[in-house]
Amino acid sequence: MEIFSLTLITTFLAATVRMATPIALAGLGETISERAGISNLGVEAIMLSGSYFSFWAMFQYSNPLFGLLFGILGGIAVSLLHAWLSIYCKADQTIAGLALNFLILGLTSFLFLMQFGQTTTLPSIQTIGRMEIPLLSKIPVIGQAFFNQDPFVYMLLLFVVLILVLFYKTEWGVILKAVGENPRSADTAGLNVKKVRYTAAIANGLLGGLGGAYLSTVKLGFFQENLTSGKGYIALVAVILGRRNPVGVLAAALVIGSAEALQIRLQTLGSNIPSQLFAMFPYLVTILVLLFSIGKSHDPAALGVPYERDKR
Amino acid sequence: MNRSTRNAISLVAVGVFVLVVSLLLIAMVGSSIPKALSSFLRGIVGSTYSIGEVLVRATPLILAALGVSVGFRTGFLNIGAEGQIYLGAIAVTWLGMTFPNLPPVLMITFALILGFLAGGFWSVVPGILKAKFGLSEIINTIMLNYIAINLVGILVRTSLKDPTYPYPMSPILPESTYFPMLLLPTRLHAGLILALVCAALVYLLMFRTSTGFCMRAVGLNKRASICSGISVTGHVVLSSLISGGLAGLAGVSEIAGLHHRLIEGISPSYGYLAIVVSLLGKNHPFLIILSALGIAALQVGSMAMQRSSGVPTSIASIIMGLLVIMILARKQLFGCKEE
Repeated sequence: MEIFSLTLITTFLAATVRMATPIALAGLGETISERAGISNLGVEAIMLSGSYFSFWAMFQYSNPLFGLLFGILGGIAVSLLHAWLSIYCKADQTIAGLALNFLILGLTSFLFLMQFGQTTTLPSIQTIGRMEIPLLSKIPVIGQAFFNQDPFVYMLLLFVVLILVLFYKTEWGVILKAVGENPRSADTAGLNVKKVRYTAAIANGLLGGLGGAYLSTVKLGFFQENLTSGKGYIALVAVILGRRNPVGVLAAALVIGSAEALQIRLQTLGSNIPSQLFAMFPYLVTILVLLFSIGKSHDPAALGVPYERDKR
Repeated sequence: MNRSTRNAISLVAVGVFVLVVSLLLIAMVGSSIPKALSSFLRGIVGSTYSIGEVLVRATPLILAALGVSVGFRTGFLNIGAEGQIYLGAIAVTWLGMTFPNLPPVLMITFALILGFLAGGFWSVVPGILKAKFGLSEIINTIMLNYIAINLVGILVRTSLKDPTYPYPMSPILPESTYFPMLLLPTRLHAGLILALVCAALVYLLMFRTSTGFCMRAVGLNKRASICSGISVTGHVVLSSLISGGLAGLAGVSEIAGLHHRLIEGISPSYGYLAIVVSLLGKNHPFLIILSALGIAALQVGSMAMQRSSGVPTSIASIIMGLLVIMILARKQLFGCKEE
């Protein structure tokens, strides 16, 4: 068995990165949203909407930029609806997210069937290919895994850096945190709580929409009912495991992605170990991490609590 | 305008809105609306078989939603009914395979107890983590869903696998585990009676005992409960146990009444639907029966509608999502405050 040969490690790493990308993108979006105090269980819906509309646009216009744009718009539409329910209607954010998951699951498969009908061959699109970055891709082992990938992976790395700077080096990061920890104080200090929360929701829709678009336009090249099949919930797990830190979320997504990649590798090797054992692994790790962090809560204090200005 | 008329008007408005959207969707596919509606109705009440199908679907929904509602009442948001259903299913399968010679009465009794405990265990863990350490139950129950689903995947390939069959499934269980059938030739089984009995028991527990009163008090106001000497931790843990236990019974009922063997995917999102059912039923046991019947009818009817008028079944999911969203938005849109 040459499981540990260098080329195999590189292909395994590359597969891990590809599995992790959609989860990390959506996880980063949810991180921003949760930091502002909005817990959106509808990441699944955001991703599904993003993947459907990007597929639709790619099919219509066969232009990757349109695919990207519509994926983002599809994601933002869902996250804004959630934000409207949570901020204006002061609804239970968890239930609102769950309802959106049902609505978008139904809506995307309804629209898909209406447009393409019941066919035996899935309508497909040309997937977005790889772009090798010169020099960086020559780094041994990780070069090929990180720098000979599709544009989404580079976008992800860019977003991680961008959000890192935003969170810890700009005033915007402080404002975001203030709104999530204590909206009343933030309001008293003259910050517009609603505006910050809506902005965070838009960021969530943008990133989640991209994550969804990745699945249909890069990974698969087609759309089908319930394409995301739980990826959104897994992104929520990545947020917790990564402790709402952009680098942490990326690392968590890589752990989850590696479990998935390992699962596929084992299946192709025809191993007797049920691959579900590895699928379980990230969740067990997350629960263990949560157990070890007992007593040091990392949740924003106002997470999931609607802000009512005129309430005592 | 007083509060109750405003409330009634808003409910009617929500109903009309959802109905109009559904009709528009049917029209968009190009099907004739009267034909689609009549096939929808015939799919629900057209024959004994179709009525049986609605009741068969409502059974796990009632049980799991009762569980969700008990958790909701103390503020324990149980998103993990899906996983707890699978744990109940594993329990009854293990019992049937390990002790195939138990007489039916003992077998069913043990299956119910074991299923309740297995589902309860899957929910009491996040319950304790929430009550004692303040960890969010939402994310923990979601993770336990995935662990449970993968656990079923492992078990039907290893220790609970039918060795004579190449597919991942358990052997057919001994007949002593079967629930009695109620209305042959439909698939209706005694799980429905179990669900109705549980609804009555949950009603008695929540509204006629002091434990139930304390649970509701904890859900309404933690601080006031502490001040009046009610143990918040204890009641949250207890409600999480009952919550998962009832979902576990749903899993037992699906195996013992319907599938008679453990396979992957026995629950097509019943656990998540249960949350919708519980919400529409306002967390009240008797209203939950009604809302479970409604959701089950919606699903069964939409399948008939797809067969005869080509309207995709996903319309059921759209209607459900829209209904919950409108109900969430109702208070603000129509200015009616919750009681």
